[in-house]
Amino acid sequence: MNELEAQEEIDLTGVPCPQNAARALLRLETMACGELLRIVIDDGEPIEQVPSSVLEEGHTIRSKAQLEDGRWVLFIEAD
Amino acid sequence: MTIYLDNAATTRPDPAVVDELLEVSRQAYGNASSVHTAGVRAAKAIERSRARISAALGCRPDELIFTSGGTESNNLALKGIAARAPERIDRRIVTTALEHPSVSRPAHWLAEQGFELELVPVDGEGLVDPERVRRALGAKGALVSIAQGNGEVGTIQPIAEVGAICREHGALLHVDASQSFTKVGIDVAAQRIDLLTISSHKIHGPIGVGALFVRQGVELEPLLHGGDHERGLRSGSSNTPGIAGFGKAVEIADPADAARMTARRNRFIDEIGARIAEVRLNGPRGERRLCNNISLCIAGVEGRALQAALSRRGIAISTGSACSSTVRTPSAALTAMGLDERAARGTVRVTLSKWTTDAELEQALSTLEEAVAKERGR
Repeated sequence: MNELEAQEEIDLTGVPCPQNAARALLRLETMACGELLRIVIDDGEPIEQVPSSVLEEGHTIRSKAQLEDGRWVLFIEAD
Repeated sequence: MTIYLDNAATTRPDPAVVDELLEVSRQAYGNASSVHTAGVRAAKAIERSRARISAALGCRPDELIFTSGGTESNNLALKGIAARAPERIDRRIVTTALEHPSVSRPAHWLAEQGFELELVPVDGEGLVDPERVRRALGAKGALVSIAQGNGEVGTIQPIAEVGAICREHGALLHVDASQSFTKVGIDVAAQRIDLLTISSHKIHGPIGVGALFVRQGVELEPLLHGGDHERGLRSGSSNTPGIAGFGKAVEIADPADAARMTARRNRFIDEIGARIAEVRLNGPRGERRLCNNISLCIAGVEGRALQAALSRRGIAISTGSACSSTVRTPSAALTAMGLDERAARGTVRVTLSKWTTDAELEQALSTLEEAVAKERGR
């Protein structure tokens, strides 16, 4: 699958919950509606928790894919 | 109405800070470690603050650890490095005789645990010569701890020069910027600082909050073990409202305030010299002095008597550092600068804030003039 083109990007590898969600949400607040944020998060609790926090604030997850090392890449469309 | 001129001890919180503190207390009361909505809301308040403060220091958000204040940050820096990486610093602490007790006491405590402690001398104005730091380092490693701005006499140290020497010698540099943050330029990368202490209540933020910058790759042993908050370096549920208030204080800090305080400080120093005989300014004049600090040695009087006299007229000043004002021995910092015991006892400290007015300073000057005349006439 071809990756989408993101306007902003944050690597949240190693950042625990819910700090990772908080940082992603703060960045999304600075972005225009429809812009894409690419985030990288760890497997386990982060991939279980971050998407629901993002959806709860009205943003849209456009894609979600696991990397070979187990981490996840999410493309989030700012609301 | 109190004329508050003890702003090196603490400052009155800015109304915008109090609003932020109350708003976050009401709205973001969740535990910032919880993954539910209330927890995420609290975590957002903290991360917003971390982003603001780290931008002001020129560091990455992950390099900033929130603490309970300057004392904890200083203790964490010294004891944390000593415990985790004693070989990295060759079991040596290099500091000055001018430091706040939250640096000097841990340093002496580490000396009791077998660390080598070297005190770099200061000159008559409290200035450290970077070349003396180089000499103290020699061929060995060390943790160097030095305050950017001294709280008692206002001396601003040449941190960038000391930082360059420390990096050249492979020593770690900790800077206590509790008194200087937002008043003096800080850029942890350019000044080659490895650890840096800042405090909220010195800059119109809430009391009980501070932070420690820890350069990426520098390893520390925490003082508090527990739930691994703050990257495992400071366990304990986060003080969300306090941290948010600290962030607000940094956000609204205006560099123009320092220029205004400098002008008022200079006028006060010139004026008191003209109106009271035998008054000496402790510490340097000009750019090497904190913009809000006036430390005066007044011959023939006891600083405590002047403080009490002004207090009776509603004017708050200090005799030295507030933390040691209950101790009757003369300040170690003043004696390190070469003042004898009598001169040190005759010292008073007037410290301005962004809100200090010319009228307040005139009132303080005339009251001080009267009180000195009365004390000298006894």
